[in-house]
Parts: sequence; C-alpha cells; structure tokens
Amino acid sequence: MSKFFNGLMRLRRGAWEMLATILIAIGVFMLMQPFALVLFTWSFPVTLLGTVMFIIVSKFPE
Amino acid sequence: MSESPIDSLARATPPALAGRIRGLSDRSIAWLFVSPTILLLLAINIFPLIWTIRLSFTNFAANKPNAEVKWVGLRNYERILTDPDIWQTMQATAHFLFWSLFFQVVIGFTLAWLINRKFRGNDFVTTLIVLPMMLSPAVVGNFWTFLYQPQIGLFNYAVEFLTGIPASSFSMLGSVALAPWAIVIVDTWMWTPFVMLICLAGLRSIPDYIYEAAEVDRASKWRQFWTMTIPMVLPFLMLAVLFRGIENFKMFDLVVQLTGGGPGDTTLLTSIELKREAFEKWRTGYSSAYAIILFVTVFGLASIYVKALNKVKER
Amino acid sequence: MSAFSVTEPSARSKGIAAVLVFLYAFITLLPLLWIISTGFKTGPDSISYPPKVIFTPSIEGYVNLFTSRTRINEEDRATLSPPANFAEAIVRERDMVITGPSRFGERFLNSVIIGFGSTFLSIFLGTLAAYAFSRFRVPLKDDLMFFILSTRMMPPIAVAIPIFLMFRSLGLSDTHLGMILLYTGVNISLAVWLLKGFIDEIPREYEEAALIDGYTRFQAFRKVVLPQAATGIASTAIFCLIFAWNEYAFAVLLTSGTAQTAPPFIPTIIGVGGQDWPAVAAGATIFLLPVMIFTILLRKHLLRGITFGAVRK
Repeated sequence: MSKFFNGLMRLRRGAWEMLATILIAIGVFMLMQPFALVLFTWSFPVTLLGTVMFIIVSKFPE
Repeated sequence: MSESPIDSLARATPPALAGRIRGLSDRSIAWLFVSPTILLLLAINIFPLIWTIRLSFTNFAANKPNAEVKWVGLRNYERILTDPDIWQTMQATAHFLFWSLFFQVVIGFTLAWLINRKFRGNDFVTTLIVLPMMLSPAVVGNFWTFLYQPQIGLFNYAVEFLTGIPASSFSMLGSVALAPWAIVIVDTWMWTPFVMLICLAGLRSIPDYIYEAAEVDRASKWRQFWTMTIPMVLPFLMLAVLFRGIENFKMFDLVVQLTGGGPGDTTLLTSIELKREAFEKWRTGYSSAYAIILFVTVFGLASIYVKALNKVKER
Repeated sequence: MSAFSVTEPSARSKGIAAVLVFLYAFITLLPLLWIISTGFKTGPDSISYPPKVIFTPSIEGYVNLFTSRTRINEEDRATLSPPANFAEAIVRERDMVITGPSRFGERFLNSVIIGFGSTFLSIFLGTLAAYAFSRFRVPLKDDLMFFILSTRMMPPIAVAIPIFLMFRSLGLSDTHLGMILLYTGVNISLAVWLLKGFIDEIPREYEEAALIDGYTRFQAFRKVVLPQAATGIASTAIFCLIFAWNEYAFAVLLTSGTAQTAPPFIPTIIGVGGQDWPAVAAGATIFLLPVMIFTILLRKHLLRGITFGAVRK
C-alpha cells in the first residue's frame, strides 16, 4: 500500500493507472446500480475523470 | 489472393512517381503507409465524435434542420443524468450484462476445462460449438422469436418435454418476468463459445511441468485447481469478461430483434433507448449528450481492456 | 502407475468430458439445424404442434423468399394457363400467382457488394499501416494504435447520429459508397491490429537480407513481406468480411432502399398473418451458410481474430 502512495507521489505510471482504473470501475458501477439516483447522476463525472486521468497518466514514466 | 494490394497500387501509380516511391526513405514510407488509415479514421470516427460533442450542448433536431439552434450548455447532460427512466434502462442493461456474463463464464470455463482433456475429436467439436458466435445477431435474433413462440416454438416445446410445463402456458418474449431472461439465454447461447475459446487458450498456456511439480509435492487435484489453474487462467478470463462486458453494454442488434425493448420497458437496453431518442423522437442534441455518456463509459472500459490485453500478450 | 503421466487425464475422465461436450454441441446447434430444416418446410408444417422433426421437404420457403405473390380467386384461377415452371406450380397450390421477383436478391447482392468493397479497402489500407507500425519508428505509435482500437469500441448508435447528418449533407445516405466507407472505418482497426500481429511474426532478417541484396524498402515489402503474410492477410480479410456481412445497427439506421443489406431485410419478410417463417428460414440459411463455412476454414485463427490478435493460442 505504501508503495502505491509512493508511486502516486512520484508520478509513476503504474500507481496512477491503478487509480484511474478504480475510478472508471466505480463510475461504471454507479451508472448501473439500482440503489440511488444521486449515484447515477454523479456516475458520468467520475467515469470521465477516470478516463481523462488514464489518458494523461499513460504519459508518465514507468 | 491473386493480386496483392501493392501490385494494384504500383499499377495505379504513374511510373515516375512509382520510381520516387521506391526510393523513399523509411520515414516517409512510414508516413505514407499510416496516413490513409489515420485520415479515414479521422473522417469516419473522430470528426463525427467532435460533432457529437458540439451537438450535445445544443437543442438541435435533425428532422428540423432549419429551426433555430440554441446553445443550452450542460442542460442535456443534466436532464439525462437525473432522468429515472434512463436510469431504469441502465439497470435493464446491468441485469442483461451481469447474468449473460455470469452464465457465459461458468459454462464457457467448464467447457474449456472439459475440452482441455484432449479427448478424440476435441478440435472438431470445438469448431462446431463456435458456430453461433460468428453469425449475424439480427438474423439469428429474429429467428429466435420463432423458437420462443408459445405452443409452436421449439424452445417452449423443449421446456415442456423436459419439465412438463405446458408449452402454451408461458411466453418468453411476452411476459414481463421472463423477457429479461429470454435475452440472457440467447446472448449466452451465442457468446459462450467466445469465453470458452479464450479460457481454452489460457488453459493451454499453462506448462505441464507446473502440474508435475505439484504432483511431486502431493498437492491434491482440488488444491491444484484453485492455486494453479484458476490464477493462470484469470488474466484470460478478465480479457473475455471485459470484452463481452463492453459489447453487451452497447448491445443493440440482437435484443432489438428479439424484443424491441418490450414488453413494457423490461428489456429496454440503453442503446435501444438511445436509438428511440435519436431516430424516432429526433431529439438530436439530447441524444448526442446521451451518446457521449455511453461513449465515455465504453472508452474508459476500453482503456482497461487494452491494459489487460497487454498483460496477456506478455505471457 | 508406471506408464501413467500426471498431466494426461485418464481414459475415463476423457470419456466423460467427451460425452458432456458433444451433448452441449448438440444442444447449441439445435437452433441452427432448426433454421435450416424450417427452410424446407411448408407453412403449415413449420407452425405445427408438436414441432415436426420429420416432414416432407418442400422448397416452398425458397420460392416464397425469391418471389412476390398475390392471392387470386376461383374464377380468375380457371382462366390461367397451366404453370410455366415448378415455382409457379408450388405457388398455385396456395391459390396465389407470382407477380415478380422479391427484393431479397437485391438485398443479398448489396450485402455482397458492401461486404467485399469494405473488406478490400480495409485490407489495402490496413496492410500498409500495419507494416509501418510493425517495422518503423512511428512517433506516438502506442497512442495511435490505441486510438485505432478505440474507434472500434464506439457504440454504433452513438456514432450513427453524426454519421447520419454527415451522410445526409454529402449525399451519401443510402448509397453503397457511403456504407463501404463506413464499414471500412469500423473494420480498419481490426485489420491494423491483426495484421500487425501477423507481420510482427515475420522475421526482420528476411527483409534485411533483401535490402542488402539491393532491394529498395518498397520492393522488400512487396516481394518478401507480402507473400509471407498471405495467410494472415487472408484470414484478416475473412474477419472483416464477416463483420460487414453481419452488421445491423448502421445498416438499419442509414439505409432504407437502394443500399439496404440483408440483415435488416430478412426480419421484414412477412406472409399472411405475421412472418413467413419458412421464407425467413430460407433467407437466413442462404445468408448464414457462407459464414459457417468461413468459420470452419478459419478455425486456426479464430481466437486471434476475436481478441484483436492478443491471444494467439
């Protein structure tokens, strides 16, 4: 876990890609979950953030 | 292939130019070769995408091209993301996506695991099993409405034959309770071979010596299965699940032919709803925003997919 | 215990596996067999209860598929000359006369034209791009490859909105050219990814030897790489063809008459009181059979084709 935060701090690709993947996964879950409309409403911003992050961090060094 | 693409290019090019093409540096050849593809993709994919983004901020309607187009900012997005009906279509999609993936993974993996015993004729039977996957979903979906007919349909008759429930007593496509499962059944029928093929590739990538070592260590078959087989196949399974997940998230052709979204709105998947908004109600601006929401979701999943793809490639 | 390998399953477990898998294959192929057999049933046979497995074959479905017919009454029937051919005779038995060919022929031909046209174009452009990506240092190579793949992932309905507007203003709606370009745009990503995999597998040494022998890069590509990649190109072509052949969403939204392909047409074949199932089944059989044959031919490369070249077996 500390390796993960360390990777984030030092702008390493692996850790940030993981974070972006998690965001996308959460966003997709929020989009399709049957529990609360408010989660559905905010799903798109979360997915968008994850996707944009994914594109940006692919430029970070390994 | 009797004529290679390059032969025809060379014939179509005037001699002087052809001479110059032949003497080109590697760098220019690289650009010459890549740019037509990129240009085509820009014209067919990227330009329309940018246009969609632009439209998504307006109230444009394609059936009224001369009406005044107003800039509405984020209003379209706001309306879609607070609309319980659209949320409902997402849940219908989720039900379809989850259960069809679930059955495909369970059946597909089991089949791959059985086929991997390399019994006589396993290649032959694999080829047979794969057939449904390659067929046109619309044509096959249409024919399944025939198989699902109460009374005369083969599916209902098979159910009667196996369980004794009278064939005319239920309608897979007409009943609110059964229709969501009817589409899951057809999708599972069609795409289980896909998951099976990928799992089979995963199983075959496991080298024999690992099992031999485990046997020396006296690990039980059950333990071998959970500690070696499953972890080794998992990256492949991930790939299959992501790919099918993306495909089923945007599912249109098969389900539109099977149920058209009905009965009620029980099988109204999100792509079918988008089609209605865009091409029946002609709310172009609104449906452009809808399309962008779906697109971003698919694009995000595709990024993860490509990451998984590279992982499998390294094996 | 001696001649027994730990990785080789026992004969009994092989036998059980074989029985289960063949059973699954039988169940999964039933709908396909049903399509084929329904095509050879008469109307009443096709909707009988219980479903008929054994029946007298008839080509009524195929006749109905290719013709349009109209019902005639008793008096007019008496005035008709005897049926000119077998098709006429079959239709007469149902108190109808043939009024002309149906549109199935044209729709099928459209599928052929659009399928082959877009396949040729995708392979032509895809081979060039794949070669460049495989052999040269293209700037932003990974980004471009991902960009190419992501275009394939777009939901067709989402893309169809602007394409519809674009085609309308360019006059490409409902034309063969428009559909060929569109399908090429979708297929080219598959072509580039698959072909890059195939070309990557050809050792660079072959070309380097040719370059030393005085070939230009272009000649090396033509005379060394292309022949080596021939099987790869052929299987990629079949995948592109199958996609264009099966595609429904774009076809139903962007074509209505002249360029409509078979998938949106087949579900609209109707007879008296609903769909004419033997005719639908006949159309489906003619339409699906080529794909089944191609699938069998392709079985070695199938996995590669459906995973964008990632899993190579």
